[in-house]
Amino acid sequence: MGAKGLPITNRVREFRERHGQMSQAALGDAIGVTRQTVIAIEQGRYSPSLESAFRIARLFGVGVEDVFGWNEDQA
Amino acid sequence: MSFREKSAWVMGAIMLIAGLNYLVRVLSASSELGWSAPPIGMSVTFTVVVVIASIIAQTVLAVRSPKEAEAPADERERPLVDRAGNWSGVVLGIGVVTSLLHFFYHEDGVLLFHMVMGSLILAQIAEYAFRITLLRRSL
Repeated sequence: MGAKGLPITNRVREFRERHGQMSQAALGDAIGVTRQTVIAIEQGRYSPSLESAFRIARLFGVGVEDVFGWNEDQA
Repeated sequence: MSFREKSAWVMGAIMLIAGLNYLVRVLSASSELGWSAPPIGMSVTFTVVVVIASIIAQTVLAVRSPKEAEAPADERERPLVDRAGNWSGVVLGIGVVTSLLHFFYHEDGVLLFHMVMGSLILAQIAEYAFRITLLRRSL
């Protein structure tokens, strides 16, 4: 998903849906943030902390760079 | 709507209603008795009403969403809540400085009291408004 004004892109929604249609609330609970924060991350309006990025990646069993990317155009 | 935003709406509404009520009472007392009206009774009543209303409102919110109520602000919410607090501090500072300047020229201690009290109320309302705006803007 492309970021809206932020240089960090992410595929959180894609991985969440692939992960048994995990809900945003369940993902939030698993990494220690609110459902609203998961929504903000997915919409590219908030870049998560490094710790949360690692928690998300580890939850989906992939590397951080598989979930998060850098959009040079927005940098 | 997140628990923190709901809480800010409710607390902002309580503070706004109680603040307007305080303002009406102060204006009424000043027109009846002049600015020499003793402010202690009004401010104590205001404080007690706000504290009781806040406890009731927070209890109702917590009972409706116990899990969210227990959770601390997360990494996205914390800086927004802090920023709202900083901006409300600016509102309070402007209010207090204005009150002091007014006192400097008019030497009315009772009015100074009410102006500082009003600044505190306004700053609190502003904090809830900033909090709601910032939380909504980042969604």
